[in-house]
Amino acid sequence: MEFASFVVFFVIACTLSAVLLGISSLLGQKRKSVREMDIYESGVNPVGSATRQYDIKFFVTAILFLLFDVEIVFLLPWALAYKDTTNQAFMIAGFVFFMVILLVGYIFVINSKALKWEE
Amino acid sequence: MLEAAIEILLKTVVILALPLGALPLIIHVERRGAAFMQKRLGPNRVGPFGLLQPLADVAKFMFKEEVHPTHVRPFFYTAAPMVALIVALLPLACIPVAGPIEAFGRTIYPEVFRSDMGIFFAFAVSALGSYGILLAGWASNNKYSMLGALRACAQMVSYELSLSTSVVAMIFLFGTNDIHVMVQAQSGYWLGFIPQWGVFYQPIAAMLFLVGIFAESNRLPFDLAEGESEIVAGYHLEYSSMKFALFFMAEYIHMIALSALFIILFFGGYGILPGMEGLASKSPYLLMLLQVVSLIIKIACMIWFFVWVRWTLPRFRYDQLMNLGWERLLPLGIANLIVTVLFVYFRNQ
Repeated sequence: MEFASFVVFFVIACTLSAVLLGISSLLGQKRKSVREMDIYESGVNPVGSATRQYDIKFFVTAILFLLFDVEIVFLLPWALAYKDTTNQAFMIAGFVFFMVILLVGYIFVINSKALKWEE
Repeated sequence: MLEAAIEILLKTVVILALPLGALPLIIHVERRGAAFMQKRLGPNRVGPFGLLQPLADVAKFMFKEEVHPTHVRPFFYTAAPMVALIVALLPLACIPVAGPIEAFGRTIYPEVFRSDMGIFFAFAVSALGSYGILLAGWASNNKYSMLGALRACAQMVSYELSLSTSVVAMIFLFGTNDIHVMVQAQSGYWLGFIPQWGVFYQPIAAMLFLVGIFAESNRLPFDLAEGESEIVAGYHLEYSSMKFALFFMAEYIHMIALSALFIILFFGGYGILPGMEGLASKSPYLLMLLQVVSLIIKIACMIWFFVWVRWTLPRFRYDQLMNLGWERLLPLGIANLIVTVLFVYFRNQ
């Protein structure tokens, strides 16, 4: 029942954005010139392809995000389960152990200058 | 069955119509606010106080030529603005505008997607926001677009970490993922007049979350996805007419949704503002109305805060932005989480 309502919401949101997208292709003026179909590169002729190599830092950031985000996703059910458990000392010990591992990883990342953007 | 279907449709329409209807007003407030802070007039010619200016803009967007450049990847180029808007709308599904109410012989929850994992769901879908941006940048097949998309994505994922740590701290404190229970937990008063809002339990988490909202919705001072002198308009450079408008709308709706989540976690959600109790105790329907009004007032304050910050703080440089996210806010968030957990544990001993 709950998911049905979400599906309805999703379908209506999709329809809405599709309709909005369709409006301007229906109503918009049609006057094609060759120059405006070109790649926009501040008015000069484009140089090379857009799928060139970009800074590796972007990809390093993405990979590190995955690692840290997975750790945080593990913490969410832990935070929910804490109140219902009887052995809270064990939960806290597990949390501290987990955080120490996270900290070691974090210190390694910072020391290896993986996130230094200056140079 | 029919009744349930009508209920779902009605809720969906209202939840979608509220933010989309408020959008022109928000854009107007932003432009007039900008003008106010820069000692100029701002748009004031179309309609009373220029209030019809956003509608005129919408009409203009509709009748503009839709440029579809030859070098783009056509399917993804068209899909990207749709993805951006849909993903921005999804978190609204689980945000309640008021408390549950007894009507027509049953309990009605004023949110589309009733779930006891509401907060979890909202963050899961709002994190999808980077897909629309990355898709737009890649499909545009333009160096500026690609760079803008990469920048925006790297920034969004970096600040999502510190934002998530603050959410974990709040979920740990409340011990629940259910938005209604969270709001209920924040409904009391200290000393009779200070509301027991989450921001007073967790000021550091509130600050991290607030900074995170600015970075997630690519607002100033974190709007490094665009830059006149470097990458022009960033990921939506090759987009025109309504396609551009969809990105624009997505940004503002993302802002509204994240503000609503911020208010739920730290400012009592739809809980009525102090001073409304006398009026609210008269009837459950009046209470519901006051809850909706309270939520709207709180979100309006947040939107004004966005405008205020935009014209107060200068932009960051990109390396400063990333250093702030990874070397300041993330350790601060994790330290805050550890201190919170240990404090709660030792207090209960």
